[in-house]
Amino acid sequence: MEREEESRTRTERKVKKAAQLLFFRRHRIPGVKGWELKKALGDDYLAVLGVLNSALDRLGMEVKRISEEGAERGEGEGEEKTERDRFMIVLKDPVIEKASGERIDEVAMLAATLAYIISKQGKAPRKAVEDFLSEKFPKQRVFFALDRYIRQGYLGEDESVLYIGWRTRAEVDRKSLVDLILSS
Amino acid sequence: MKFEELVRLIHFCKTIEKEGTDPFDLDVKKFLETLRRYHKKWKSLDDLLLDAEALAELAKVIELQGRWIKDRSSSFYIDPALLELKLRMLEPHQLATAFVRSWHPILAVDRITPQRLKEGLNYWNALLPLNERKEEFPLPSMLDTTFDLEDLIELNIISKSEFDESIQAVLNELEDRGRIEYHDFIYGDAFETSIIKAYLTSYLVSEGKAELDINPLEDEVFISPSNTKDNAKVNHTPGRSIPISLSYEDWLRWREKRNHGQEPNGR
Repeated sequence: MEREEESRTRTERKVKKAAQLLFFRRHRIPGVKGWELKKALGDDYLAVLGVLNSALDRLGMEVKRISEEGAERGEGEGEEKTERDRFMIVLKDPVIEKASGERIDEVAMLAATLAYIISKQGKAPRKAVEDFLSEKFPKQRVFFALDRYIRQGYLGEDESVLYIGWRTRAEVDRKSLVDLILSS
Repeated sequence: MKFEELVRLIHFCKTIEKEGTDPFDLDVKKFLETLRRYHKKWKSLDDLLLDAEALAELAKVIELQGRWIKDRSSSFYIDPALLELKLRMLEPHQLATAFVRSWHPILAVDRITPQRLKEGLNYWNALLPLNERKEEFPLPSMLDTTFDLEDLIELNIISKSEFDESIQAVLNELEDRGRIEYHDFIYGDAFETSIIKAYLTSYLVSEGKAELDINPLEDEVFISPSNTKDNAKVNHTPGRSIPISLSYEDWLRWREKRNHGQEPNGR
């Protein structure tokens, strides 16, 4: 009985620690790597995250796991890969209308850019994206907007080719975005 | 000839990889036949290296073709043309709504803990005074190039003909008005257009189409059209920069003065 109590206290402490590690930013990019969680919480860190996840679920949040290569992973994947993955907390079902100070036209430009790049299999020449956005917005605003999306992590750029950034992989349900656009 | 053909094929493969165009635009069978045709003609190490590079690039495109098929057969595949058309048709608020509905923002909080504050204090205490750490902050080196009109034209921010027309309009106005106090010439009904006019006027002065006459004692600057039309072509002496202050407050004062019917300087 005493041992059970001790075990519960230990788990609670670990869950609290996991929540603090994931909520508070420790690096430029939010989130914590699998190996960092393992070091802080022990070998059973995935089980601890499971408990935290059920607590967060009640508040409309969840722990999201993103691989280095960009794919979302489920449970039961290789230990080595898991340690390289990044874990972060995201809003599961946003129930508030605004969760960002971005202007509507900036959100529209971001949505159009992401959908355009997704339709081109995840990457597109920057010039093509600029030309596409310039149909509805002045060129200068398009240049600044793209640079800002790159800084914010929504896009990546390599030799004038834009691709989906880490933040889009973490925050945006790409399939749902495209479905919503097509059905609008 | 053989080099040219292979280099062209390698370049084509690289374009597919870089720009994400349809990998099936490359005819793999024909590519391999080309390689085979030249295979027995290779003599030098460079020939073989080129052959190997072509083969490596071809392998990458074949990999892309595999990925392309996998992607198209998945439920996630969307016809790019259809999506593009839809994106063009939608209003900004519809796009923003679609984004917000598929968006799950990351939750992250920045907060300084007492421990981190203590670390910061220790760092401050261990830090040498700035004059002892000069090598950490070297003076910025001079830039080799400047951002000029050609760059703006290249970036499609302005067009050359549009710019030339604007300059000509300012020159025509200056010729009509003759010698005039600089601020009276530059300032107009709106501050924004005044700044644009000052920018265009600076080109007239740099090109020798207008002259500045500065009276430092009275703190006055007059501008007048150049006497000779070919002044720009004749005068090759290196110029000097003349900073003239323009500010919103100054423009407001100028406008108030004008509205009260005071005679502008030099007119």
